[in-house]
Amino acid sequence: MSLVLIVMLPFIGAVLPALMIRTGRNACTIATASVTILAFALLMTHVPAVLRGEVVQVGWDWLPGLGLNANFFLDGLGLLFASLILGIGLLIIIYARFYLAKEDPMGTFFTYLLLFQGAMVGIVLSDNILMLLIFWELTSLSSFLLIGYWKHLPEGRQGARMALAVTGGGGLAMIAGALLLGQIVGSYDLSVILQHKELIQASPLYVPALLLILIGAFAKSAQFPLHFWLPHAMAAPTPVSAYLHSATMVKAGIFLLARLWPVLAGTEIWFYLVTTTGLITMVVAAYIALFKDDLKALLAYSTVSHLGLVTMLLGFGTPLAAVAAVFHIINHATFKAALFMSAGIVDHEVGSRDIKHLGGLVMLMPITATLATIAAASMAGIPLLNGFLSKEMMLEEAAHTVWAGQAWLIPLLATAGAMLSVAYSLRYITQVFFGPVREHYPSTPHDPPMGMWLPPAFLVGLVMLIGLFPQTFAGPLVAASAGAVIGGPLPDYYLSIWHGLTPALFMSAVALGLGIVILWRYTQVRAAWQKGPHPQAKALFDRTLTGAVAVSSALTYRLHNGSLQRYLAWFIGACVVIGYVTFWLSSHEAGNRAMLPAAPVAIVGWLLLIGGCAALMALHRDRLLALITVGVIGLIVSIGFVYLSAPDLALTQISVEVVTVVLLLLALNFLPKHTPAESMSVRKVRDGVLAVVAGLGVGAIAFAAMTRDFVTLSDFYLEQSLPGGGGTNVVNVILVDFRGFDTFGEIIVLGIAALAIFALLDGALRGEVGRKLDAWVSTEQRSMNRHPMMLVVATRVMLPLALLVGAYIFLRGHNVPGGGFIAGLVVAIALIMQYMASGFGWTAKRMRVDYHGMVGAGILIAAATGIGSWIAGHPFLTSAFEYFTWPLVGKFELASAIAFDTGVFLTVVGAVMLTLANLSRIGRRAQHQQINEQPMDVNPLENTKN
Amino acid sequence: MRPEVALPILIPLLAGALSLAFWRSRAMQRGIGVVGTGVMMLSAWVLLYTTWQEGYLVMHMGNWPAPFGIVLVADLLSAIMVVLAGITGFATAIYSLATLGKRHEHFGYYPLMHLLLAGVNGAFLTGDIFNLYVWFEVMLVASFALLILGGERAQMEGAIKYVTLNLVSSALFLSAIGLLYGLIGTLNMADLADKIAQLEDPGMVKVVAMLFLVAFGIKAAAFPFFFWLPASYHTPQVAVSALFAGLLTKVGVYALFRVFTLIFSLEDPFTQNVLLWMAGLTMLTGVLGAAAQYEFRRILSFHIISQIGYMILGLALFTPLALIGGVFYIMHHIIVKANLFFISGLIYRLKGSYELRELGGVYRSHPWLALLFLIPALSLAGLPPLSGFFAKFILIRAGIEAQAWWLVGVALLVGLLTLYSMVKIWSEVFWKAAPPSAGKTPEPRTRNDALLYLSIGGLALLTVLIGLGAQPVFVLAEQAAAQLLDPRGYIEAVLGGEA
Repeated sequence: MSLVLIVMLPFIGAVLPALMIRTGRNACTIATASVTILAFALLMTHVPAVLRGEVVQVGWDWLPGLGLNANFFLDGLGLLFASLILGIGLLIIIYARFYLAKEDPMGTFFTYLLLFQGAMVGIVLSDNILMLLIFWELTSLSSFLLIGYWKHLPEGRQGARMALAVTGGGGLAMIAGALLLGQIVGSYDLSVILQHKELIQASPLYVPALLLILIGAFAKSAQFPLHFWLPHAMAAPTPVSAYLHSATMVKAGIFLLARLWPVLAGTEIWFYLVTTTGLITMVVAAYIALFKDDLKALLAYSTVSHLGLVTMLLGFGTPLAAVAAVFHIINHATFKAALFMSAGIVDHEVGSRDIKHLGGLVMLMPITATLATIAAASMAGIPLLNGFLSKEMMLEEAAHTVWAGQAWLIPLLATAGAMLSVAYSLRYITQVFFGPVREHYPSTPHDPPMGMWLPPAFLVGLVMLIGLFPQTFAGPLVAASAGAVIGGPLPDYYLSIWHGLTPALFMSAVALGLGIVILWRYTQVRAAWQKGPHPQAKALFDRTLTGAVAVSSALTYRLHNGSLQRYLAWFIGACVVIGYVTFWLSSHEAGNRAMLPAAPVAIVGWLLLIGGCAALMALHRDRLLALITVGVIGLIVSIGFVYLSAPDLALTQISVEVVTVVLLLLALNFLPKHTPAESMSVRKVRDGVLAVVAGLGVGAIAFAAMTRDFVTLSDFYLEQSLPGGGGTNVVNVILVDFRGFDTFGEIIVLGIAALAIFALLDGALRGEVGRKLDAWVSTEQRSMNRHPMMLVVATRVMLPLALLVGAYIFLRGHNVPGGGFIAGLVVAIALIMQYMASGFGWTAKRMRVDYHGMVGAGILIAAATGIGSWIAGHPFLTSAFEYFTWPLVGKFELASAIAFDTGVFLTVVGAVMLTLANLSRIGRRAQHQQINEQPMDVNPLENTKN
Repeated sequence: MRPEVALPILIPLLAGALSLAFWRSRAMQRGIGVVGTGVMMLSAWVLLYTTWQEGYLVMHMGNWPAPFGIVLVADLLSAIMVVLAGITGFATAIYSLATLGKRHEHFGYYPLMHLLLAGVNGAFLTGDIFNLYVWFEVMLVASFALLILGGERAQMEGAIKYVTLNLVSSALFLSAIGLLYGLIGTLNMADLADKIAQLEDPGMVKVVAMLFLVAFGIKAAAFPFFFWLPASYHTPQVAVSALFAGLLTKVGVYALFRVFTLIFSLEDPFTQNVLLWMAGLTMLTGVLGAAAQYEFRRILSFHIISQIGYMILGLALFTPLALIGGVFYIMHHIIVKANLFFISGLIYRLKGSYELRELGGVYRSHPWLALLFLIPALSLAGLPPLSGFFAKFILIRAGIEAQAWWLVGVALLVGLLTLYSMVKIWSEVFWKAAPPSAGKTPEPRTRNDALLYLSIGGLALLTVLIGLGAQPVFVLAEQAAAQLLDPRGYIEAVLGGEA
């Protein structure tokens, strides 16, 4: 259980600094440190067991359906990394307390740091590769926050983004790789995966899985050519760099390689990929480091180089190389963390970390100089320090590794890498601390407070102790972790300073000698280097990024050019392509239903329809004519309904046409009378072709469909209409009963449409459009007679008649053509006539109805009818009807559907009138006229008086 | 009779009608807004619980037996969708209280919001293909009205594209229904499924299926039918954007899931390939579009498109795991996407701009908001342990198992580019110092900002919970997918055992 606690403690503890910062920086630091100490102490309790070779395990199911188990285990490798993460983490916390300036929010810093720490510990303790991935991505994220901690610095933000892009992207590749691995083995638990070397390496998925995992690991561990993010991550505060780039984040990739070493290593492809990458990285990065003036950049590239060294060792695939790799991980973590911290001290106390502005600091800050010198000497591989030991082992392994038949290649390059490493390490010592004392430093150099030099001093102590007594201080840990990496018996090796006169010693000596020569001749070397090309990875990365953005911009804006015609062309075009291909591939011949002869009337109607549509195309720029044509087309459609024996539909269609045309005419009053020509002829051809092809396609499908026989539900409706629905008009019974729910939905649509028109017009009136309207002068010739007497009188007379007709249509609807919808339209037309005759204002004064409320009431009534049946214990909208006998009237049927139809009626009237009301309001505003007091222009009463 | 099925439709309908009846009282409308959506959300949870316990719930409207009358059917997918609509609706209602101006409330924002939700829920619950069309119309016209609320010029331009392009979808949908009826002679989806499964020659049905694919593809904003979305989503009030972003396209996705698991077969390689290509290209074009944007809401809008691609991928792969992934993705996405829009609106309130260039310094001034942004943003990008990680992860695993390599690659790449986008926003809006002439003057704090944080925080909490409690959510998605893969259960529940 305590294993889980080790992982969770930093996460839980991450809230502490954010809270404790209010009580001061020291309290905050102590709280943070205690979290880490506690986790470290818990880890230490497991040390005896792990050193005995046991594996501590704990876990539970998180997402068993996916094979994601929250399993943790601690073996030697995990112990090594966890101690580095927590141990160095603790030193960093202390160091950061003194490093961070007053204005830096320390609480946030420690919160991020603990989150990162937890994620790192999670990686190294996970026993489930998916869990590991989760923590892996969390490290990318928390390191993003840490690197960008100085958020006011653009380079901080850019560095953070680059780090996240590269390591996060690598993480995605790893997800795929891990999934493949799990796919091969059938489990995502590492302890299971590690048992299946043969299975994995024999699988055809081995190579893709390996490649993907390597991409992830190389991205994280900054291996060439994915190394470029690391130097830019140096924009972070130094404690972050010291932590992330010595012991933790960049080691995660190495860790993964080591973790999966037992199952992935040992094949040819592994050897060539990993060794070569490591080798190139080691040499190239060391070469770049030699010419960096920024201390942190120098250290960053040296880190890349050393990571390359470890990668190469792991690539060798031999047990001895694995031991060397593990040993170098320990050594690199100690001296590199110390070096970063000392660079931070220099930066902090001198005010610059540019070598060109430094030098001669040894007497001014002796403690720092001593620490940095020892650590750098270890990095150079000077004997008696720990860096020497592991470098020696590396050279020994390199000396007898053959690369593609070339026995000299690896030893030579390894020596070159070591030589460069010597050169830049010594340069770090000599050009910063030795040499002449400068007259001016950015600020007066002095040794830092003890809190700042103690952490690196502790590490330097380790550097020397391990260097002198490797077996005592590192032996057990190396053995345990190397054992975990190899996953089998340990090879025969012993850690000591003197191995006799080996090739490695010779290579080491050459490297040291040549390194000193390079430094001695540094000016010339540098001059030579200046002449060479300097590919800038960041510039390349930025260019790639800008290029990608430019490409996507171009693509996006080419697609989204704002032209509705183009969008429609895409829609119809894609539809045509998909539709035609499917049609072609499927059985599409006409069915075998007998065809009916076409009646002459039908042919005439068909021709009229085609003619109407063609006319609309031709006339569409003259809006009034176009509207009339639309009306004609609508009428032909309603005649079509009559022809096909659907009187209800015909009635509805006609009333809808009337209302639509009237309302559109009102709207057209305020719109330009002509549509500007928008399409050039090329586009017209394109659109025409698309339209014809699409139309033919739909026609073909319709033809295929209609020539086939099918069984419909109609018979049921015909049978059940009277006994079940209580009406003989099947269409109406379908509308209000069988499929009443559809009608219910449709009246809502109508109601919302009215609201939309209201919002559209009334909203528009308040803005720019309103001002435009105020200034609007109609260019049309207007009739002098606004409210002609004939029209007024006729509509007055017709009103009660029309209302009566409406009521009649409404009531009879259930049995013969009619119903609430048509009745609503008829009544609305009758009312519209009043408005047309006497003007809106006059009529509105006499008809005070809140049309919004009317729409709402209609919907409510319809809904209430439905819910009423619920109360009676039937499903929604179940209709009931009963026959009554009234005197005079006779037998009378009352159906609940009538109430529903009332709702429909009210909504229709409300919606149409609401629309009308709004259009009229625009008209009033535009025509700048007073509301007429009289119903018509001429007052007949006045005339008679005269 | 099971009232649970109808309640999520009726409650918002009644709330909408009531708000209309109280046309003049803004206070009443605001009250009904919160209470109505709240009750609707409760009813949705009840529905999910009942469906989980008892399986399919069916209500025969008007007491007519299927396939003659209209049926409402709730299976797990429907119930999940309704719950998500409830959550989004409720959060939007609360958010609206604090953000909407008088002007918008005057023009019927609340009734329209309720009616839109009714349309959404209707679409999720109906078992009748024509009735589905009706609910699509309700949604379309309500969303159009919401889109133009406020009457800005940009809104009009966006709304016209929105409505025109969506009407193409309606026309196709309606033609497809007509043709399908002409071939099969029924409208009940279960009955259609049953009859189509027995067809000897489904050739023409396949063609009609493609029309449905295009119609729903337009609704879902899939490639190449997405143009209406980026043209309009950044124009209305942000509460409206959030509601749309969360729900509207997902209705199209839902319809695709429903129709292509129940009625039409994806076992036909051609249909499946069309969907797979559609999924891949949708993911790519969406995310590339986002990379080119520097306006908060436009970035988010383009990401909707790319995320739709993932959902369609879940359907198109058509393996049990992929469907689970698709359902999981929908659950994750709706909550995250609505929340991101909410946050963009809050930042607009604070800083007076949506342009990344004009924004900055939010981290310094509002650190908690920064955290609240990170949760949905990283979830969208698929970082663990948030909901989006699991959603993407399931899909990618499904893709690997189905050996759809290029789609796995696309899915991963799009994940990376999404992360890039989110980091871009983070870096520009939160980290970067505020530019000297930071946008326009921020809106005065007239109403309580706590309401905004309430909606945002609530949704963020859900995002975290879906991640940490991924197992129950996974099981839910698993059951829902199992139902989708075995349409017999649906058919029998609707038509009775003998079918």
